[in-house]
Amino acid sequence: MSNINDDKTESSFNGSALLRLLTYTKPHLHWFGLSLILVMILTLTELTRPILIGDAINLFKDHGDPAELTSTVLKYGAVLVIGVICDLTQGWILQKTGQKIILHIRKEIYLHIQSLSSRFFDLTPVGKLVTRVTNDVDALEEMYSGILVKLFRNIVYIIGLATIMLLLDLKLALFSFVLLPFVVLLTWLLRYFSRKAFRVSRTRLTDLNTFLSENISGMKIIQIFGRENRKYEEFDDKSKKFLNASLNEVMVYATFRPLIYISSILSLMIVLKLGGEEVLHSVIDVGTLYIFAQYIQSFFDPIQELAEHFATLQSSLASAEKIFTILDEEAKIPEKENPVEISHLKGKIEFSHVWFAYDDENYVLRDVSFVIEPGQKVAFVGATGAGKTSILNLIGRYYDIQQGNIYIDDIDIRDLKKSQLRSFIGQMQQDVLIFEGTIKSNIRLYDDYITDEEVIAAARHVNASHFIEKLPHGYDEPVSERGSTFSTGEKQLLSFARTLAHDPGILVLDEATANIDTETEIMIQDALEKLMKNRTTIMVAHRLSTIQHADCIMVMHKGKIRESGTHQELLTKDGIYKRLYELQIHQQIG
Amino acid sequence: MTKKDQKNFAMKKYLFNHAPAYLAGILLLLLVDVTNLYIPQFTAEIIDGLSTDGGFASGDVTRVVLKILLCGLLIMAGRFGWRYFILGSSRKIQYEIRGDMFSHLESLSARFYNAHKTGDLMAHFTNDLNAIREATGWAVITVFDGVIMTVMVLVKMILYVDFNLTLLAFVPMILIAFGCYLYGKIAEVRMEAKQNAFSTLSDKAQESMAGIRVIKSFVQEKPDFESFEKTSEDCMEKNLNVVKLRILFIPLLELVIGISMMLSLLFGGRMVLNSTITIGQYVAFNSYIGMLVWPMIAVGDCINTFSQAYASYVRIKKIFDESPDIVDDEADDTFGSVKGDITFKDLTFRYPDGDTPVLKNINLHIAQGEMLGILGRTGSGKSSLSDLLLRVFDCPKGSLMVDGTPIDEIPLYVLHRDVAYVPQDNFLFSDTLEENIAFGLEEKVSDHPELKELVVKAAKAACIDENINTFPDKYQTIVGERGVTLSGGQKQRSSIARALLKDAPILILDDSLSAVDTDTEEQILANILDIRKNKTTIVIAHRISTLSKADHVAVLNDGEITEYGTHDELVKLGGFYANIFEKQQLEKELSAL
Repeated sequence: MSNINDDKTESSFNGSALLRLLTYTKPHLHWFGLSLILVMILTLTELTRPILIGDAINLFKDHGDPAELTSTVLKYGAVLVIGVICDLTQGWILQKTGQKIILHIRKEIYLHIQSLSSRFFDLTPVGKLVTRVTNDVDALEEMYSGILVKLFRNIVYIIGLATIMLLLDLKLALFSFVLLPFVVLLTWLLRYFSRKAFRVSRTRLTDLNTFLSENISGMKIIQIFGRENRKYEEFDDKSKKFLNASLNEVMVYATFRPLIYISSILSLMIVLKLGGEEVLHSVIDVGTLYIFAQYIQSFFDPIQELAEHFATLQSSLASAEKIFTILDEEAKIPEKENPVEISHLKGKIEFSHVWFAYDDENYVLRDVSFVIEPGQKVAFVGATGAGKTSILNLIGRYYDIQQGNIYIDDIDIRDLKKSQLRSFIGQMQQDVLIFEGTIKSNIRLYDDYITDEEVIAAARHVNASHFIEKLPHGYDEPVSERGSTFSTGEKQLLSFARTLAHDPGILVLDEATANIDTETEIMIQDALEKLMKNRTTIMVAHRLSTIQHADCIMVMHKGKIRESGTHQELLTKDGIYKRLYELQIHQQIG
Repeated sequence: MTKKDQKNFAMKKYLFNHAPAYLAGILLLLLVDVTNLYIPQFTAEIIDGLSTDGGFASGDVTRVVLKILLCGLLIMAGRFGWRYFILGSSRKIQYEIRGDMFSHLESLSARFYNAHKTGDLMAHFTNDLNAIREATGWAVITVFDGVIMTVMVLVKMILYVDFNLTLLAFVPMILIAFGCYLYGKIAEVRMEAKQNAFSTLSDKAQESMAGIRVIKSFVQEKPDFESFEKTSEDCMEKNLNVVKLRILFIPLLELVIGISMMLSLLFGGRMVLNSTITIGQYVAFNSYIGMLVWPMIAVGDCINTFSQAYASYVRIKKIFDESPDIVDDEADDTFGSVKGDITFKDLTFRYPDGDTPVLKNINLHIAQGEMLGILGRTGSGKSSLSDLLLRVFDCPKGSLMVDGTPIDEIPLYVLHRDVAYVPQDNFLFSDTLEENIAFGLEEKVSDHPELKELVVKAAKAACIDENINTFPDKYQTIVGERGVTLSGGQKQRSSIARALLKDAPILILDDSLSAVDTDTEEQILANILDIRKNKTTIVIAHRISTLSKADHVAVLNDGEITEYGTHDELVKLGGFYANIFEKQQLEKELSAL
């Protein structure tokens, strides 16, 4: 199940993903360079401090001058302050740079997602995209602002430590290192077992949480079927499994941490014993012994930290791969290199032998052809799945067709710039989406060229002002999709205002099927009439009143246009339209 | 297990159950801390021995080094022990609370679930329980360790080295404890701001991704991006605020420790030179300062952990304080089993939190063995009728009788055993199809293979057997979370099979045939009519083809019964039912084109 996938992502160390992540540091290399220098100075100060104390101890032994002690104290203070300043500066530089890189990646992936085709959005759940932009990008933060430099810092620290010890006393140093391979091994084992234990416990936890959330949602069924006891047993089984896995985790740490501790004590013993002998034989002085005793204990933390850094690095890489997968997704609606510009839109639409399938297999439009003259109003009717909505989506090139041509003002839409094409079209969907903001911002929809006056004028023109002006804050009323209490009819009017404010030459309307009260219905009809004036209109209509406004009605059935004409013409034909019409009448009664 | 008496949630109880383990853990902590103090002392002994000419011989060094080993071994064992005892207990407590909470949730009714979202309840199981685990595990260790260590190290410093020097070195260390507490407080505020910024970012991304088609159709990609950019920048800003604190932490800690070290070097050094203390004592003193760092951090930290855990504790307690409202208080324990005669008498019902009644003045008799169809628009009260029959909600006493007995006098287990139900949303569990269909049985099929026959029989009646046999794992097919791998129709039929298997005196189908095609529907209905002779069946449906099979049909409108009769009577009546009938006839013709 899920843990198998995790195994794969965690165990395969993807070098190319790492390299690609590193390329993001390029514009900031000077900052990384500076902080590396600071880290080196910092490490140097950290290594110097025990030496100064060691010096002092030698001074004590020789009953030296108190003035010398004061100077050592001052040196110590200076080294301390330099270290603190270096640490603060490099920390700040790195964090800030890291955050900037994160921001950059986040913007890049967002822009990229925006550019992808509707097909991509049909196939990818919104939640997944949101996770990529938010959590996955966040998982990279650690890598830029911490791991890279900490890795460097710990390596420098370990090397520095080893070098000084070797310089001070080669033999003692080598003996002190005897246990280090053992510590590395233990650290590795701890990592191995703890990861294994963690993975098991995480899988169990996921199982448990999945079970919980499912059964809390299905509590009604459990109670109606009287299955509380059995469900409790199942729950307890999962809960116990998780408990055992998590106790196992405790045991892994309880075993290895003390083992690592005891090896640090053993190292100390070696240093004290062998060093002590050397002091007795006057090979080294007591101060050096002190330095060794301090240094040998300082080896342990960096080694364990290194192991942790690698773990974080790997999980960052897992997120990075997911991000790169999205970034490598290609925009499937290509932009023509030298697009044709339409300076003045007339509004003619033509479909010529259009074949279209969302998935290259199941054709929803089969050889559809029609011409809509500028200013004409055409309604498409037909049963669900007949292909009406697809026609609306094709005009704005949200999908590309497999065969045939679509022309706007006799120009193939693939020769137009997408943004220009879409700005010609006022597309009104069935579900009107309310964006977080105010009524005003929802009508204007980011376009700041639309003035407040124009917003209000648009709302008034399409009768939306009636309900807007009743709101406590009128046009400045805060609204959001989740918190919205607007009726379908009101939302429809709002979207009319939105469309009118942007003043498109072609109107594309996908009418909502929901029931709307008579009063709003009248207002919608009135608004529609005003909207359609002087605009080419193409619509999928459900309501009779809307359909009757059309100059021409096209009846779609199973991907083809089966009948067309005016309302009266079609009724006399006694075909599909007539049945649809009768059905409609019943729907309105029912 | 489930119908336990009202539980009183109290942390005390859980802690008390594990008192011996905690006691053992704390004693081991004490042991480790005491032993720990000797290592610097022994190191000092060696340094002193070596510094004074002719003080130490080689054997002396070995002797002391072995003492250090002994300490190390003791500490190793102790550390293993306290992790095992205290961390283990904290996880066991988490497990116990989790179990009690689940069992309590099982006793709560629909009213509670309508008011609490699954996500919120899940948060109690995850975030809140984790906060309690932290407080009963690491925080306990930290607090005891911190206090014991501080006291002992200080005592050791005073006794073994010098009082004044200790005082001098300790004063800066107090800053650490205070600083950590303050750090926690400020960090909490900034973390919250960061999380808020992050969820604004998530919301923004969510909204734009969901509304990408609108954005594209209005060619507003650029401004939308700019608004996203602003949110992202704010997120970065808030992140940096947290980071600023984090960056300060380690260097400032180092600075304070460094200052303590300097003070001890300056004044301790003088004392060594004056021969007030030995070099070894000075070295030990330095180690002791190091040992104080962690307890100081711990003390500051713990205050915050405990305050978070307390907030979680209060939230969990609130859940435990909810009392079940569908109970067996008035049940007649001698009630054997349901026969299937149902009477609604002047029933007016409103939901516990609602003002307007969803059912008004319902008078309806369903004789044993009858099949009743119910038709009505969304919100007309159809599902409320089944909710009342299943006692998901309670209705006014005496307005609903089963076999002449008020429904609340029938024990819940009898009612749930004898009324089978196919819900509208076809909820299936992530288990095998077999277990899902056998959900109404006392035993699991995996333990009693002889039950398989019943499962197959029910599946055949629900016309799902053939489908199931085309799945690679047949009846062992695991249904995805909430049944996602099955089609709507397959889920519906599995859910019908689940209800049919119970062979209960009363069966309610709540709009349960909507996702199957008409031919299959005919077949299922024929099967049901066949199996359920002499048993009561209530069918809520939209399709006239379904309803026409019923003995009687009741039309519900706005909570009231507006039409009642046989199919033919209602068609003749020319009302709502007749209208829907004609409409569906037309649809049939149209789809045949």
